[in-house]
Amino acid sequence: MNVREHLDDLLRRVRLLLGLFYLLLVVIASGFWFVQIAQGTYYRELAENNRLRKRPIRAPRGLIWDRNGRLLVENIPSYGLLVDRSRSADIAASLAFAATVLQRPTTELAATLERSRNQPAFKPVPLAGDLTLADVARFQVENLEHPEFEIAVRHLRLYRHGNQTAHALGYLGEVSEAELADGNQHFSAGDLVGRKGIEHTYDTQLRGTDGERVVVVDSRGKPLDERDQRPAQPGASLKVSIDLDLQQTAQRLIGDRVGVVLALEPKSGEILALVSSPSYNPNLFARRMGSRQWRDLIADPNHPLHNRAVQSGYSPGSVFKMVLATAGLTEHVIDESDRVFCRGADRLYNRRFRCWKSAGHGWVNLRGALKYSCDIYFYHLGQKLGIDRIADYARRFGLGRTTGVDLGGEKSGLVPDPNWSRRVRKQPWYPGETISVAIGQGPLVTTPIQIAAMVAGFANGGWLPTPHLVLDSGASPTKATIGPQAIGVDPKTLEVVREALWAVVNEVGGTGQNAFLPQVQIAGKTGTVQVVTQKTWTKNKDLPLELRDHAWFVSFAPADDPELVIVVFLEHGGAGSEAAAPVAKGLYEHYFRTRRFSEVALGG
Amino acid sequence: MARPHLRHFASVRWGLVGSALLLSLIGLATVHSATTELSVNVLPRQLLWIGVGLVVLLIAFSLDYHAVLDFSLILYGLGIASLVLVLFFGERVGGARSWIGIGSFGGQPAEFMKPAAALLLARYLATVERRYLSAIQVAAAGIIVVLPVLLVALQPDYGSAAMFLPILMATLLIAGVRWRTLAAFAPVVILLLTAVFFFGLHDYQRQRILTFASPGSDQLGAGYQVHQSKIAVGSGELLGRGYMQGTQSQLRFLPARHTDFVFAVLAEEWGFVGVLAVLGLYAFYFANGARVAMRARDRAGVLVVIGLLSLSGFHVLYNTAMVVGMLPITGIPLPFLSYGGSFTLVNFLATGLILGVDLRRHVNR
Repeated sequence: MNVREHLDDLLRRVRLLLGLFYLLLVVIASGFWFVQIAQGTYYRELAENNRLRKRPIRAPRGLIWDRNGRLLVENIPSYGLLVDRSRSADIAASLAFAATVLQRPTTELAATLERSRNQPAFKPVPLAGDLTLADVARFQVENLEHPEFEIAVRHLRLYRHGNQTAHALGYLGEVSEAELADGNQHFSAGDLVGRKGIEHTYDTQLRGTDGERVVVVDSRGKPLDERDQRPAQPGASLKVSIDLDLQQTAQRLIGDRVGVVLALEPKSGEILALVSSPSYNPNLFARRMGSRQWRDLIADPNHPLHNRAVQSGYSPGSVFKMVLATAGLTEHVIDESDRVFCRGADRLYNRRFRCWKSAGHGWVNLRGALKYSCDIYFYHLGQKLGIDRIADYARRFGLGRTTGVDLGGEKSGLVPDPNWSRRVRKQPWYPGETISVAIGQGPLVTTPIQIAAMVAGFANGGWLPTPHLVLDSGASPTKATIGPQAIGVDPKTLEVVREALWAVVNEVGGTGQNAFLPQVQIAGKTGTVQVVTQKTWTKNKDLPLELRDHAWFVSFAPADDPELVIVVFLEHGGAGSEAAAPVAKGLYEHYFRTRRFSEVALGG
Repeated sequence: MARPHLRHFASVRWGLVGSALLLSLIGLATVHSATTELSVNVLPRQLLWIGVGLVVLLIAFSLDYHAVLDFSLILYGLGIASLVLVLFFGERVGGARSWIGIGSFGGQPAEFMKPAAALLLARYLATVERRYLSAIQVAAAGIIVVLPVLLVALQPDYGSAAMFLPILMATLLIAGVRWRTLAAFAPVVILLLTAVFFFGLHDYQRQRILTFASPGSDQLGAGYQVHQSKIAVGSGELLGRGYMQGTQSQLRFLPARHTDFVFAVLAEEWGFVGVLAVLGLYAFYFANGARVAMRARDRAGVLVVIGLLSLSGFHVLYNTAMVVGMLPITGIPLPFLSYGGSFTLVNFLATGLILGVDLRRHVNR
């Protein structure tokens, strides 16, 4: 029937369609013949000689200024030598020539070249970095003889104050494979990105956007003509809260000791000085660092790359007594006049707990206990409060969580409680531990930046600022910051504690007298953290360094209306009163001398 | 009904499977050469897609195409639904909201819509018992195709949208249509295209079409791609620059080297000889496919095969012509050679369905 006929019709049309397809394929194939055979030589020449090249225009990275407008980081040009192996008749001779000009061993250049073994021969690959202008001129003069060499300019980061500002500013490093694979960021191989500090946190703003230009280059790679250009957008410059003078003074005061000095404004949270010692020279990272230098940095037992201000956790020691005092008053467990008798040691929960002063302090009230840093008083207060209430107040003052400072790698520390003990440690909470925590020992862990924010909370009358380094950054930072948080304690209670802290420095017998300055009223609290439990009172000087106590001194001034909070922490520095307090004193001296001077100058 | 069985392996059209596999291998090698500069290795992924594609091929092969046609309305409906979904929840890939998925696994609904539309079209036109289609029947067939075209154009991905039209043209031609019936629709089509050019296109797309009319006017933007592609193809000359030795590909002058411009990489590195070899392989693949259509048992079989073949055939024609500068640039991949999951799967699916039609060609067995 006619269905079969129709099917035959269909088959005729299928043949027609296939024929049409063949015809079009032939048309396209002749298009390829035209481009590849008829015009092949022309296009081969275009590819070989007159190539259009897309050249990136590197966006200059933003500069960083201190709060007084002094330049901390700038960009300087650096010249690198590239070699195009396909243009070299004799690569050994080329290397020998380069070695003579640069006065570097041929073997070193050969080793660098070996790293690019897998790259196509016509692709210029790096041979040496850090050329002097004289070297650059020499290679340009010899361009006819040695067309295989190319000079590449890039900008290096110069940290003007080297290791003095290293932990605040950070450094740059080459982008990693993982970051290249991440589609959200537009990196290309060899890009530099912020690795630590401000350079890391504000990388997006500082980096800017690279531009691009299309240039016509001849067979020597020399640009002949520029076709089109998309300009680079320079990175934003940042102003940081660091006061360079104060920062340098802090660095000088801590010297080669291991520790942290932090100075910040209690009302704004702006960090004026951030020193973590030992430090490192970030300028070494800008150039390709030798493997030995890198090994030395990594192997250093004091970990110079570690930012102790935010990345290290320590027991707060007696500094924590400020929190305990506030908790005791607020919870009405004690009042200001309640007294405890200290005979140098006491039994609690069937264990002997010693005061740091073996002779004892006699009768002490809260003010005296803070002033003399009497342990016995706080053992009893701790017992009355119990661990849950202690932990609650520690958290109110921001301990146990990150402060939100705009530096990477911040640790949250630890506020221990029975719940934590069961969940993490898998063992019950021992009542004796409450007694240890009461004087800032035991499993309690804090970072210096947390302590600084906590002291700022006492100084400003009741709220925790977010410590930060960057002022008016315009765009939002890479890392979300946390706004100021209320502590939720009666300001009058904080006033009582502040008054006692004033006595610590300004009254006879106070543990912080080494910080006393006649021209400004300082309030503070010392802390001495035992690294090992001692059976007897051994003099710290007689102990090996790694067993000596850690020293804290936290403070603010002027005592009646605080402008500045200073936290000093010295790892194995000995007693807080002897080691840490004088560093703070020196820094206040500098701060108020320059402050008074500028006030006089301004006021006429 | 014939079901797959060992004895059927003798009657499998091996030419179709063989050329598809050979093209996929050439694709893998070319993609590898095109991606040496990339830090992520895309080869394992493409290999996985080919493996999954073979499984899809086997499944499609084992299904009776009549059953598939019965199911085609549902497939079509699902396709339309996913195209609507992607408009709202899709991820943007290169400006078009075309990608849907969870994490790094997902696909482009538009790619799967293409065979679904071809199948529904075949089903509808197979029921027509006349020598020539009426105007109403042509219009109905037109609506089946225009609906997904509009949805894909909204993403907006005009290149992909345009790829539906050859399916319509080819199946109408095969099903039988008078020229005057088609001519009646011409004013509508012309009006539509003009409107799209002036109101529907983005600036960069209009630029691409204008650039095609006068190349060299915009070296950094649209003109750059055409120019670089032509240099790549031309510099290959007769024998090519050698595998992994193409300066255009290896120095990253060429855009989308492993996807839409993979054929330019092949042309540069293997020359005119390589181009002819691959075009020959495609001719062999489609000759085998057409042979299946010509031996098919019924009208439905012919239309299924032609719909699917016209889909991939037009991709081949457009992509190769675009690479050599004969057509404006748009994001059209090359079957079996380009890197990409959804499109690879669709091509293996189509191959499997065609093989299935071939297996069931004898009427009373």
